Amino acid sequence: MKKADIVVALFFMAIGLILVFDAVRLGFQWGVTGPESGLFPFYLGLGLIVCSLLTLRTIYAKYKKDGYDKLLMPEGALKPILWVLIPSLGMVAITEFVGLHIAAGIFLGFYMRAVGKIGWVTTLMVSFLIPLSLYIAFDKLFLVPLPQGLWGGILIPF
Amino acid sequence: MLADLNNLAMGLGIALEPYNLMIACIGLILGIIVGVLPGLGGANGVAILIPVVVVMPATTGVILLSSIYWGALYGGSITSILFNIPGEPWSVATTFDGYPMARKGRAGFALVLSFMSHAVGAIVGVLILTFLAPLIAEIALKFGPAEIFSVMMLTFSAFVGLGGKSPVKTVAAILFGFSLAAVGMDIVSGQLRMTFGSVTLMGGFNFIVAVIGLFGLGEIFLTVEEGLKVEGIVGRVRMRDIVDGFKELLLYPKTLFMGAIIGCWMGVTPGGATPASFMAYGFAKESSKNSKEFGQGASAGIIAPEAAAHGAGTSATLPMITLGIPGSPTMAVIMGGLMIFGLTPGPMLFKEHADFVWGLIASCWVGNFIGFFMVMAFAPLFAAVLKVRFAILMPAIIYVCAIGAYAVNNRMIDVYYMLVFGVLGYLFKKLDYPIAPMVLALVLGNMAEQAMRQALIMGQGSPLIFFQPPIALPIMLVALIIFFWPVISGWKDKLLGKKKA
Repeated sequence: MKKADIVVALFFMAIGLILVFDAVRLGFQWGVTGPESGLFPFYLGLGLIVCSLLTLRTIYAKYKKDGYDKLLMPEGALKPILWVLIPSLGMVAITEFVGLHIAAGIFLGFYMRAVGKIGWVTTLMVSFLIPLSLYIAFDKLFLVPLPQGLWGGILIPF
Repeated sequence: MLADLNNLAMGLGIALEPYNLMIACIGLILGIIVGVLPGLGGANGVAILIPVVVVMPATTGVILLSSIYWGALYGGSITSILFNIPGEPWSVATTFDGYPMARKGRAGFALVLSFMSHAVGAIVGVLILTFLAPLIAEIALKFGPAEIFSVMMLTFSAFVGLGGKSPVKTVAAILFGFSLAAVGMDIVSGQLRMTFGSVTLMGGFNFIVAVIGLFGLGEIFLTVEEGLKVEGIVGRVRMRDIVDGFKELLLYPKTLFMGAIIGCWMGVTPGGATPASFMAYGFAKESSKNSKEFGQGASAGIIAPEAAAHGAGTSATLPMITLGIPGSPTMAVIMGGLMIFGLTPGPMLFKEHADFVWGLIASCWVGNFIGFFMVMAFAPLFAAVLKVRFAILMPAIIYVCAIGAYAVNNRMIDVYYMLVFGVLGYLFKKLDYPIAPMVLALVLGNMAEQAMRQALIMGQGSPLIFFQPPIALPIMLVALIIFFWPVISGWKDKLLGKKKA
């Protein structure tokens, strides 16, 4: 947990530095007509840096006292989480090529087979029916345009 | 007050129109399902449907969005009691005593207690909403930029001082939310901020995408941690449970009332249903004569957090329509939906769109009323949703979340952002960074900054403008007191402690 805590605190500090840096570029003083563009971000950045420093100090003090380090994730939790995260990322990436519905169908099918170990019949039925119904619901009924990808328009000609 | 009742009657006329009624029921059903499912929470359930709602008239659209919220408030308890899995963040406290009670074979009884407490919380919340809203709107009309900014500061101070989490981390979360809001084009001067030449970043971060990622995917990661087994207790609500539940409720009037009041307080002074439920549980436990029973199936352990959660959810509407400050993260999303309709929440809404506002208030009455009967009758049906294999449910939920994230602005980058926010949401929850104020800061960021800049211009650059009587000064003072409450409370205890010794 300590490492993750430190990483996130440093992440916030980095954001704070970015804010301050950009605020200097924009100007953070009192301009001609009022506060300049960078005023708000400047103090936000400053605040984030201060908070990060305070958090880091607390982390060191606390872990010096406690001694041990609690785990960020319980035993064996990383694997299921990565099994969710990486295929999801894959689905989003594939969307760029074949569109969301086909990519989601692949994602559903992959996850059901690989992780859920569900039979082929159910897998194929579900990974076909769910994207189909959502396609009809969103693209046709609600008229909400969803990503087609590069080739999706050709693959789904209706 | 008569005028309010008149207005309420007019609102009821709108809310009870067949089309709106049907939409409310659909919303409730969707909401209960969303409440039952982990990963599709009230906040991102509403967020995903916003693009759909745009095609409807504004009143109907808002009725749909808020009905989903009421449904989710009721629904989260079902899985808390039957599966020990909180369907919503505000149902976590229900698992403490609800699940043990169900394990002892009193699942139906627990469900009834929970739903009835929800109903009471809802009634108190809607009463406060109906009668206080016009009053506060009147006062809010006199607000200038300095007052608006001070109310926002009060909001965020409440999170810092009373939120229960590390103040430093809360402040960091709030500042992070503001920073996300600041990326993109500066409204006042038109300059590009923090975009570093990237056209993508020029669009900034949309709060709907953030909510879907932080609350939706983050929840999924948390749920998946424990493995994929979901086994539940079968619970049906029988007539005897209803009678027993009602009688039990009458034994705890103080707990019930206290829960509802805490809830409404946390809804009105933006906090939300989640902190409300925990606070009420804590209070009930501390002030109970048999606090050892808590955690084993104590009735008060269900009554208090449920009444609080629903009271908070309903009364969160109040600051949203009167001051334009959402009382809870889900309400923040609903407010975003309003803005998409072109309705700016705030005191002017009462003047210019009275029919809309009172239609919304009336639908709070109607929706919560119908929702209560829906859950009582169909709880096991909704619980059965979780019987679907998780390996099917989980990718389907992510699929729907991706649809929601994309539909906001038709940009693929938003879906990638959603994933990133999901990881961030998971990390933040694990490391105890509060997400609710972060989301609120993201939603309110531009408004807060504009108010601050206008106020500073009015005050010729002096920050003293924020401390001018008659309105800004007391609000800022209260904000400062609440902000430093942990410190002040520590001093108070030390002083009193010394006196005792």
